[in-house]
Amino acid sequence: MSSHSASGAIDHHHDATTSTGIPNKKLFMWTFLASDCMFFGALISMHVVYRIHPPAGSPDPRSVFSIELTSFSTFILLMSSLLMALAVNAIQKGNVRSTRNNLLGTIFFGLIFLACQVYEFQHFVHDRGLTLSSSLFGSTFYTLTGTHGCHVAIGVLWLILMYIRSFKPADAEQSSQPWFIMSIVHLLVFAVAVILGVYVVVDFAHQMHVPTFSVGSFLSGHLLSLIGLAASIGGLMFLGRSRGQVDFGERNAIDVESMGLYWHFVDIVWIIIFPVVYLLEYI
Amino acid sequence: MQAITKSDFIGKDTAAAEKRPFVFTRPTAKTGLVSWLTTVDHKRVGLLYGVSSLIFFLVGGFEALLIRIQLAVPNNTFLSAQTYNELFTMHATTMIFLAVMPLSAAFFNYIMPLQIGARDVAFPRLNGFAFWVFLAGAIILNVGWFVKSGAPDVGWFGYAPLTSTAYSNQFATDMSTDLWVMGLQILGVSSVVGSLNFIVTIINMRAPGMTMMRLPVFTWMTLITAFLIVLSFPAITIALIALMMDRSFGTSFFEVSNGGLPILWQHLFWIFGHPEVYILILPAMGIISEILPTFSRKPLFGYPIIVFSGAVIGLLGFGVWSHHMFTTGMGTMATAAFSIATMAIAVPTGVKIFNWIGTLWNGQLQMRTPMMFALGFVWMFMMGGFSGIMHSAAPADAQQQDSYFVVAHFHYVLIGGSIFALLAGIHYWFPLIFGRKVSEAWGKFSFWAIFVGFNVTFFPMHFLGLNGMPRRTFTYDGNMGWNSANFIASVGAMILGIGMAVYFVVMLYTYFKGEKVGRDPWGARTLEWSIPNPPPEYNFAVIPTVHARDAFWYEKNHRDEIEREKAKSAAEEESHGGIHMPSQSWFPLLAAMALLTGGLFFTNHNFMGAIAGGVVLFIAVYLWAWEGPGGYHLHLDKDGNPIEPKDGQAHH
Amino acid sequence: MRTLSRRAEAFRPPRFPFGDMTLTLTLRTAFSRARSLVLVGLLPLLTGGWTSGPQSTFETHGPVAKTQLDVFYVTLWVSVILFVLVAAVLAYATLRFRVRSGDLSNQPPPEQSHGNPLIEIGLIVLSIGALVIIAVPTMRAIWYTYDVPEAERANAYEVTATGYQWWFKFEYPQEQIEGSGALVTGNELVIPAGRPVRVNLRTVDVIHSFWVPKLAGKVDMMPNRGNHLWLKADEPGYFWGQCAEFCGESHAVMRFRVIALSEADFAAWLAQQKSPARTVPGTQIGATPAAGTPRVEFASYKYEKQRPNSPGWSEGFDRAPFAAWQQKQQVDAGEKPELIAQGRKLFIEKKCAGCHEVRGHEGAGISGPNLTRIGARTTIAGGLLENTEQNLHRWLTEPNNVKPGNKMWFGGYVVRNSETGAWEEQFSINDDEARSLVAYLHSLK
Repeated sequence: MSSHSASGAIDHHHDATTSTGIPNKKLFMWTFLASDCMFFGALISMHVVYRIHPPAGSPDPRSVFSIELTSFSTFILLMSSLLMALAVNAIQKGNVRSTRNNLLGTIFFGLIFLACQVYEFQHFVHDRGLTLSSSLFGSTFYTLTGTHGCHVAIGVLWLILMYIRSFKPADAEQSSQPWFIMSIVHLLVFAVAVILGVYVVVDFAHQMHVPTFSVGSFLSGHLLSLIGLAASIGGLMFLGRSRGQVDFGERNAIDVESMGLYWHFVDIVWIIIFPVVYLLEYI
Repeated sequence: MQAITKSDFIGKDTAAAEKRPFVFTRPTAKTGLVSWLTTVDHKRVGLLYGVSSLIFFLVGGFEALLIRIQLAVPNNTFLSAQTYNELFTMHATTMIFLAVMPLSAAFFNYIMPLQIGARDVAFPRLNGFAFWVFLAGAIILNVGWFVKSGAPDVGWFGYAPLTSTAYSNQFATDMSTDLWVMGLQILGVSSVVGSLNFIVTIINMRAPGMTMMRLPVFTWMTLITAFLIVLSFPAITIALIALMMDRSFGTSFFEVSNGGLPILWQHLFWIFGHPEVYILILPAMGIISEILPTFSRKPLFGYPIIVFSGAVIGLLGFGVWSHHMFTTGMGTMATAAFSIATMAIAVPTGVKIFNWIGTLWNGQLQMRTPMMFALGFVWMFMMGGFSGIMHSAAPADAQQQDSYFVVAHFHYVLIGGSIFALLAGIHYWFPLIFGRKVSEAWGKFSFWAIFVGFNVTFFPMHFLGLNGMPRRTFTYDGNMGWNSANFIASVGAMILGIGMAVYFVVMLYTYFKGEKVGRDPWGARTLEWSIPNPPPEYNFAVIPTVHARDAFWYEKNHRDEIEREKAKSAAEEESHGGIHMPSQSWFPLLAAMALLTGGLFFTNHNFMGAIAGGVVLFIAVYLWAWEGPGGYHLHLDKDGNPIEPKDGQAHH
Repeated sequence: MRTLSRRAEAFRPPRFPFGDMTLTLTLRTAFSRARSLVLVGLLPLLTGGWTSGPQSTFETHGPVAKTQLDVFYVTLWVSVILFVLVAAVLAYATLRFRVRSGDLSNQPPPEQSHGNPLIEIGLIVLSIGALVIIAVPTMRAIWYTYDVPEAERANAYEVTATGYQWWFKFEYPQEQIEGSGALVTGNELVIPAGRPVRVNLRTVDVIHSFWVPKLAGKVDMMPNRGNHLWLKADEPGYFWGQCAEFCGESHAVMRFRVIALSEADFAAWLAQQKSPARTVPGTQIGATPAAGTPRVEFASYKYEKQRPNSPGWSEGFDRAPFAAWQQKQQVDAGEKPELIAQGRKLFIEKKCAGCHEVRGHEGAGISGPNLTRIGARTTIAGGLLENTEQNLHRWLTEPNNVKPGNKMWFGGYVVRNSETGAWEEQFSINDDEARSLVAYLHSLK
C-alpha cells in the first residue's frame, strides 16, 4: 500500500502527491483511453471503408442483422454504465456493501451483453451464412465487434476481480485465514458460474427457434449444466457473505474509478459502433 | 538471492512476521542477475534498454554493410536476391524498432526522471515490463534468421498484398511474415506501455516548482514523443491485426481477389509511419537542445518557441502521412493538400535550427566530443531537411519516390540526425551514468571517422536516385551510370563501420578503464547533474525545489538559499517516513515471457500453445496486481548514505 | 599518360572493370583499385557524370519529366540558397564563439540571454516565404502532370500497362485485332513520338510501379484501383524503365523499355504487329522437315555457359540502343528452317505454349508475356537481358539463375508436389533443345 494514504477525509478530486493533483492511475487510464480511441477509430474506419466500397457479392447488412436484439443489448450495456457510476459513487462514500451490489449488477449486465453477442455471432454464422472469411463484410464486422467484445470481456473480468478483492480481510497480512487461496477459489467459482450461465442462456435462445422445442426437454438436456450453475451461484452467495472487517474501502475509490472510466469508454465505443455498423443502411 | 518476507516499510518495526504466500516474496537482490531481471529502477531499465539497443544497432549495421558489399559493383552475386531482400527488410526494422527507438527509450528512462527531480517513474513495474516485452518482440523479429523460411522479406513497410500468403516466397510454409507481424505487435505493446508511463511521470511526478515551462527540452520532447507513440501505434496495430487475421484465419482485409484494398494498408501504415519519423527525431532534437546550451554556457535560445515547434511538429506529423503515397494515384486535390502540409512542417523544423544557432551566438563554445556530435547533427539534419523539402513538392517526388534519393534523405535525418544525437547523448551522459569520461582524442577521432564515412556513403546516393536507381534492388546493371557512386558509397560504408567500431570500443574501454570524473564535469544546467555520479538508487537525497528553467544552473548560483531549502525538505520528508522506494518484482519478466512464448506459438500456427501463453500472461498479471506496488523506506545519514535497518534485513 | 577526358572515357560504364563478384573477389579487387577509383569517381561528379545515364531524371525527353525536373530545380535552388545562408551563419557562429582554453570554470559565463522574439518571428515569416516560392510551381505541376492537358486530349493515344511478378504486359485498346481482341505485347512499349500517351496502370498480383525516368515520374500499379499516368516523348528514341515499388524476390530485375517512333514508323509497326506470327516456310507443325533431324552444327552459335548474373548487354547495343531496336525488326540472315521447325515443336512439348501466346501459332497461354513478336524485341526476361542467342539460350536453360523466383521456373520447369510441398522437376531444356527454341523464337519477327 502506498505510504501516502493519509489519515482523515479523502479528497477524491485531488491527489496532493502528484504535480497536477490528478491521481497517477486516473491520468494513466485517460491516456490509455486516448490510445484506445485511435485503436477503435482505425477499426471503425476500416469497416466503414469496406461498407462504402463493398466488393461485388457482398451480403446486404439488412438481411443479416436483427436490430431488435442488438438494440436490447445496447440498452443493457448503457444501463451497466449507470450501475458502474453508482459503484464509484458508493465506494467514494466508503459504502462497500453498495459498491459490491453495483459491481455485481454491472457484471451481470455486461454478461448479458456478451451473451447477446455470442448468440448473435452463432446465429449469423449458422443461420445467415456470415463468417469471418465469407466476405469482407464478415471479416470487418467480426473483427470490429469481436474486438469490442474482448474489451467488454476484459472489463467483466476486471470487475469480477475487483469484486473479489473487496472481500480481502482487513487483517489479511496477519490472520491465519488463507486469503490468497480463498480468492482463487472465489474466482474459479465465479468463472464456472459465468461460463455455464452464458452457455445455458445462449443455447436456450438458439433452440427456442427450433419447431420441436420444449422447455422440459431443454431442461432435461442441460441438467448437469443447470445443477452446476445452481451450485456455483450458491457457492458465490456463500463466498459473498459478510465476513467481518475488510481491507477494501474509501481509499480504493481511485481503483474503482479507473475501472469505471474504462467501462464507460467501452460503452461509448459501442454507442458509436451500433449506429455505424448496425444502422448504417437505415440512417 | 536474499529474500525478505516483509515488503513494506523496512526500518520500521518488523516484528510481526507477515503471512504472505511465497509467490509474493519480493526479490531484494541489489547485485547479480536477479537484481537485473527483477529491477524496477528506472536507471537500470534505462541501461537494459541502452545495452540491448546498441547490440541491435550493431546487428543492423552489420546487415547494412552486407548490403553495401552486394551493391559495391554491378551484377554482384555476393548475396542472393532472397537474402538481400531479407537483409534490407531486417536492416530497416532493426534500426527503427530495435535500435533508435529503444535507445531513445533508454534516455527517456534514465535521464527524464532525473531531469524532473523524480525518484522513479510513475509505474516502476510497468517500466520493467515495457523493457522485457521489447526484448520479446526483438527476439521474435530476429528468430527468422534461424528457421527454414528465413527472416522477414517484405520490406519494413510490408505493403499488402505482397505480405499475403499467396505471395510468400517459394517455401511451402513461410512464417517469416508472421514473425514480422507478431514481432511488431509485441514491440507496439512495449512502446505504448512505456509511453503511457512516461506521460504520467512527466505530468505528475515533477519536483515542486518544476512547471511545464521549466521542463528541460529533452523532457518536453520525451513527452511529445510519448504522445506520438500512444496515438500512432494503434493504427499499425490494427493494420497488423488485420494482416494477421488474413494470414491465419482466412479473412480478406487485404486479399485483392475478395475485394480487399491494399491502399488501406498504406494509409494505416503511414498514419503510424509518419509520426514514427518524428518519434525517431524528436528525442534527438531534445538531446541536442541539452548539449548545445551546456557547451555554449548559455540558456537555450527561444525556449518557448523550441517547445512549441516540437509540439507543432508532433501535431502536423499526423497530417502529412500521405506524402509517402504521392505515387499511388491519390488524385490532384489530395496530393496538393499533402504537399502543402508537408511544406508547412518544414517551418517548425527550421525554427529549431535557427534557435540552435541562436544558442551558439555570443556563447563560449567548448568543442568537446558531445558538442562535436551535436554540431554534426545540426549540419547533417539541415542537409536531410532540405532534401525533405524537395520531396514535399509532389511532382519532383514522382521522380524521387522509391529511388536512392529517398534513401539518401532519410539516412541524413536518421543517421545524421537521430544517430548523431544519440551518440552525442551517450558521450554527454556517460560521466553521469558511469562516473567516467571518454577520452577527448578518441572521441573526436571516432566523430570524424563517422562523419566522413557517413557523408561518403550517403551523399552520392542523392545522385544515384536522381540518376534513376530504384531502392530495394539487389542488383543493377553496369551500363546505367551508377557504378562509381555505388562503389564510393560502399567504401564510405566501410569507413562508417570502422568509425562506429572505434566509437564502441572506446566506450567499452572507458567503462572499465576511463578517467574518473566528479560531479557535473561539463558545467551543465539541468537537474540530473546535481546528483553524485553514478547516481544512487534513490536519485535525489532530497527532492529539489525548482526556481527557474535550467534548475541546476540556478542552484549553482544560489547555493546558500538552496542549502537551507534542502535541509528543510529533508527534515520534512524524514518526518513522513523517509525516502520511499518501490520493491522489485518477478512478474513483469514473467508476463513478457508469456507474451514471447505465446507469440512464437502463434506464428507457428500452434493455437493451443498461444492460448497457453495467454493463460500464463493472465496469471502473471493477476499475481502482479495481487502483490501490489510494495515498497520500502530509506533513511540517509548526513553524507547521503542509506542507514542500515536495525533488524539486519538489509539489501546490500 | 592519360588525359582527363580519357580518364572519364575509361570510366564509361560498359568498360567498368567489375562484372560478377564474390566477397573475396570484391575485397581483393576493391582494395587494389580503390585509389584510382576514388580519383576517377570524383571526376564524373564534377563533370556531371553522375547526372547522366539511361535512367537519368536530369536528361528529360518529354514535357511531363521536364515539368517535374523544373519543379525539382526550384526546390533545389531555394534549398541551396537557404542552406548556404544558414550554413554560413552556423559556421561563423561556431568559429567566432569558440573558446580554445580548456577550463572555463573560473571565467564568467556569457550573458544568459533567452531569445529574441523579433528575430524568431522574422525567420519564421522568411521561411514561410521561401516555401511559397516552392509551393506555387508545385501546385501548377501537380495538375499538369496528373492527366493529359485538355487541349491535347483528343490527340492522346491510350495504352494499358499491367504489372506481373516480374514483367510488364502492354495492351493497345485502340488496336483491336479481329478474333483476338486488343494488340498485346510485353516488356517493350512502343509509342508514337510527339503525341501524348495515356497509360492505364493495372496489376494482376502485387503493387508495381511504372517508371520511365526520362519521360515521366512513377505512378504505382495498385490492385483494385485504376491508376493512370501520361507521358509524351518529344522525339523518337529508346528509353529505359524499371519497376519502382518493391514487388518481391526479383523486383530489382523487373525492367522494361519504351520505344518512341515517328508517326509513320509507328503506323508501320502497328500494321506489322497486328498480323499473325511470322511463319518461316516449311516450319509448320506436321510439315516434312527439309533435311532430316537438325543437329548441333545447324545452329549459328556455340553456347558458352555464363556466370550467374553476368552483364546482360553488349557494348554495341549500349551505344546505340535505338539503332539496335530498328535492326531487330529485320529478319535474321541465315535462318535454319529445320531448327525453327524443331523449336516450334518443342514450344509445345516443353509446355511453353500453355503460358505464352504466339498469335497464329500454337502458343495460347496468357499468364506469361505474349511472344508473337519476341524476335523483334531488343530485350528478354523482363528487360533484363539483351535479346541475343546467347542470352536467350541462357534464359531458357537456367531461368532461375537469371531471375530468381520467376514463375517460368516455379510452376513451369519445377512444380510443387501437392502432397510433400517439395518442388519437383517437370521438364528441363538441354543445350540442343535450347538452340532449336532460340531459332524458333528469333524467327518470330
